[in-house]
Amino acid sequence: MQCDRARPLLPQLVDGALGPLRRWLVTRHLARCAACAAQLEELHTMRAALRNDLTYHRAPPALAARIGAMLPREDAPTPSRARWRLPAMALGGAGMAGALAGVALTLLVAGGDASNNAVARAVVDGAIRSRMADHLTDVPTSDQHTVKPWLSARLDFSPVVKELKDQGFPLVGGRLDYVDGHRAAAIVYHHDRHIINLFAWASPGLADSQPHAESRQGFNIVTWRADGITYYAVSDVEADQLAKFARLMAAGG
Amino acid sequence: MPAPDRKRRFELLALPHLDAAFNLARWLAGNPADAEDVVQEAYLRAYRYFDAWQGGNFRVWLLTIVRNSFFTWARENRSSRLVFQPDAPAGEAADADATAWGAPPRDPEALLLDRIDSQTLSRLMQRLPAEYREVLLLREVEDLAYKDIAAVIGTPIGTVMSRLARARSALRKLWFDAAAAESPRAV
Repeated sequence: MQCDRARPLLPQLVDGALGPLRRWLVTRHLARCAACAAQLEELHTMRAALRNDLTYHRAPPALAARIGAMLPREDAPTPSRARWRLPAMALGGAGMAGALAGVALTLLVAGGDASNNAVARAVVDGAIRSRMADHLTDVPTSDQHTVKPWLSARLDFSPVVKELKDQGFPLVGGRLDYVDGHRAAAIVYHHDRHIINLFAWASPGLADSQPHAESRQGFNIVTWRADGITYYAVSDVEADQLAKFARLMAAGG
Repeated sequence: MPAPDRKRRFELLALPHLDAAFNLARWLAGNPADAEDVVQEAYLRAYRYFDAWQGGNFRVWLLTIVRNSFFTWARENRSSRLVFQPDAPAGEAADADATAWGAPPRDPEALLLDRIDSQTLSRLMQRLPAEYREVLLLREVEDLAYKDIAAVIGTPIGTVMSRLARARSALRKLWFDAAAAESPRAV
């Protein structure tokens, strides 16, 4: 590759937009061509300056509050119920990662706080995020014998996965999640048109505990611990229904 | 779905990106007061059209609205300052990718772009047309891929690449001029 072909590719090289072959060809050219290497250096210098030295204007603290106060006064169209309950799983794809990354950061920050409040907030956020960011399930199947091994193979623990269809809680699938600093399984159930996210992560050495209910941000939460695994069931179903679900899940067998 | 629920969901998704939204608006508008207006308007619009969001990258979706809110606001409030047409006329632009980065440096061993301080850099950025500023911000600060930048500014990817090349070239020229003005021996 010569300068005339390599030069226009330098920005794409810096931007990570070159395929492997062209990247290799350009890199090989750069090793022999001081002029092009110098231009690459310029691009890097400019990028570093824009990233590190250019003022990043953070939003004034009052702005978030002002926006929050402003929103409900708007006449919003009634959202489609079905869309919330069953987000189109086919959409999103690559773009989703970015959206998740943004919220994941929030979760990580929350994870620094060891209090139960932070955990509860994290699981609720995880539950909301799961239905908003096209990421309800990685393994969409109602077959517990598919979900359980799929999760077990990807985690260092094996959460309980039950089929509770006859009790009114059909299994929808499972996914991997990250909650409050834990690699977690999220097992997804339906109840009527509601979704129940059951988060589970390993907590070795901690004693078993009975289901404990709370509510947060309009969501009901029931948490318990069994066999070194912490469970959080999160849903907007009625509290008594979620309690019933938790009893069924936590029951032996 | 009751309004508080919808609002809560919106906030959960949108508020983490408030800094990104404000930074973009601030760099486009040039001052904090206008930036706040633009961001508020953008968040209102985003909330109104929340149901139109089809999943995918929420930050990209939101920044698109911020960006469009800015240009709408700018058209209504100070149209005269935005007559600049970023995509140069035919003949000059066609081969921008090949030429925009300029002639080979005279002395490849020399450090080509001296470090400049944050204030100078901000001043140079502010002198660029908004259309150049936004692609530089989206690429270098927000770290968006070409296809996401294309979504935000509503152009094909090819336009993103050529505009980015021109933006870098323009900033580079200002940068050299600033360095030359500061210390005549540098160039």
